[in-house]
Amino acid sequence: MATANSIPENAQAAENTTADLLVFVTAMAPEHFKGVLANLASAFSPGQIIVATENQLPADLPSNLRVVSTPQSNAAWSLKPVDFVNAAQCGRQHGAQAIMMLGPEADSLSPLALRSLADAVSRASIDLAVPRYSLPSHAGLINSAILYPLTRAAFASRVRFPLSIDLGMSPRMAERLSGAAERISAASQPEALLWPVNEAVAAGFTVDEVDVGLRAMPQPSDPDLNSILAMVTGSLFADIEAKAALWQRPRRAPAMRQPMVEAQPSDGSADVARMVAAFQLANANLQEIWSLVLPPNSLLLLKRCSMLDAATFRMPDSLWARIVYDFLIAYRLRTINRGHLLGALIPLYLAWVAGHINLTASGTPAERHIEAVAAAFEADKPYLVARWRWPDRFNS
Amino acid sequence: MQYAVDNTMQQANGKIAASPLYTDDVSIWHHMSEALHQSLYRVLTLLIAVLPGILAFFVALLLFGAVGMLISWVLRRCLTWAKFDLRIARKSGADWTPSSSPTDIVARASFWICVLLGLVIGVSAFDASYATGAPLPISLLPYLTHAVGAALLLIAGVLVARFLARSVLISAVNAQLQYARVLSLGVKWLVLVLTAAMVLDHLEVGGNIVELAFGILFGGIVLTLALAVGLGSRDLVSRSLESHVEHTGERTHIPDEATTPTRQIRHF
Repeated sequence: MATANSIPENAQAAENTTADLLVFVTAMAPEHFKGVLANLASAFSPGQIIVATENQLPADLPSNLRVVSTPQSNAAWSLKPVDFVNAAQCGRQHGAQAIMMLGPEADSLSPLALRSLADAVSRASIDLAVPRYSLPSHAGLINSAILYPLTRAAFASRVRFPLSIDLGMSPRMAERLSGAAERISAASQPEALLWPVNEAVAAGFTVDEVDVGLRAMPQPSDPDLNSILAMVTGSLFADIEAKAALWQRPRRAPAMRQPMVEAQPSDGSADVARMVAAFQLANANLQEIWSLVLPPNSLLLLKRCSMLDAATFRMPDSLWARIVYDFLIAYRLRTINRGHLLGALIPLYLAWVAGHINLTASGTPAERHIEAVAAAFEADKPYLVARWRWPDRFNS
Repeated sequence: MQYAVDNTMQQANGKIAASPLYTDDVSIWHHMSEALHQSLYRVLTLLIAVLPGILAFFVALLLFGAVGMLISWVLRRCLTWAKFDLRIARKSGADWTPSSSPTDIVARASFWICVLLGLVIGVSAFDASYATGAPLPISLLPYLTHAVGAALLLIAGVLVARFLARSVLISAVNAQLQYARVLSLGVKWLVLVLTAAMVLDHLEVGGNIVELAFGILFGGIVLTLALAVGLGSRDLVSRSLESHVEHTGERTHIPDEATTPTRQIRHF
């Protein structure tokens, strides 16, 4: 963890001043931090912002930036609960009207993107501004397959990246997230994930998306799919379980205000055959586990999918939606050990990815398919509500 | 009288051997009857000695079972009135299923604690009455407790075997090992064999034979697996490891977007 060796004069003065915008910058490599500071300096006028960070300050710190020191976590690829607590505390201390949190490798965000994110909160009076990144079509697949569709169906939110690493927040949103983070920390889960969009919807706050263009997404230090999928999906399942009384109420997602941004095309081909083989192996070996979670008609459809060859492999959107919902129900009911449950989901996820890649390779835009998947999740929400209330029914 | 005269005359003629008199026959039957009566008396005495203990055991069990039901009912009513489930849900942030609500769990736990207490007290009452009532060795009671322990050990072993088998199966499938099911079954049976050996040892059945047999069997299985992995499955393991390394290389590779277009998928 990089720490400041000395506090320059502008930082000492900034300790006791207020600002319209507080920018909370998480720990990152010095070269990235230098880029962030440069972008902030060019995006905002002098005296408008305070930068709260524990990163080592560069020698050529822009003179128009006020920097304060604040404790941080070693966030690698996601914001930790303690970051939300520290950001809210810092914002409260400096009377900030808006708080912006920037995750690792935020130097890839342009000054215009930073400005847009801040303006959404300070000028448009949005409580939670979530960036919408322009990623390659084969990136962020867990988000495309599970996080976005499930969040959209459950909480009627069209935020494309509900687990964003950059955020713009109003003071009350920051307090709300800080409270949620403290509850998580009190439950001895310092590495747990916080879901800002879900919290905002639960609190009745306004949420909006800001198109920020390209961004280099930091990757987990241990890129094992088994652990990442289990952690992220399990965290979302737990959050949905905690907010069951909220999402069971009928609500309609707000109309899409931004045109659908087509993802960058992905060059090269992913190993679809390997993923299909993994699914077929799981279909042959995990039937007894899947049968505890999935209804017979889903198992039959999966069996039919396993007979497709890799080139034409495709998982129907409605089947994928029901699979995710059934796993969510099983997570709640603790039908089997939760670690086993999320491990059994991985081959099914790989099957969806293989189908998605085949579809995009055939010419269908990736975003169109992802929107279709999200629409399937919305259409099958009554199934989720029915099974949540009457868990023993398999034929609803 | 006539019979005695005839008998005497026949003995004098040498036609028949001298036979015991009527009083000897009565004596044999009397002895046999005496022995049977004594045996029956001992059995009845033993039964009379044991019966109060058994009765005390069942009375204690039924009494505490009834008390447990009453306590469970009272607790359920009180906790429902106090909205215990709602308070717990608010505090923990979790949505409990109707079949396993906190109130239900507390009520069931209180009932079974009372039943267990009744069982303990019943066994103590049985032990006390049996020890003072009969001269027979009290070897059955310790064996009964060992049997209960062995049953619990067996249940725990089966649960652990199933859990580990499932864990290995899922991990092996996700690692794309073709022999995932064989590996899972192997782990399951290893744990079950270990459990069986522990149960038999706990019951003090077989003595050293069981220990020796288990050691040979378990050691043989482990040695076989080691030889299979080390020698017999070299190619298979190396192919699996190579595919794993290639897959890890794909996941860990972060493409340089300035020079290299995106080639690999990124799950996050």
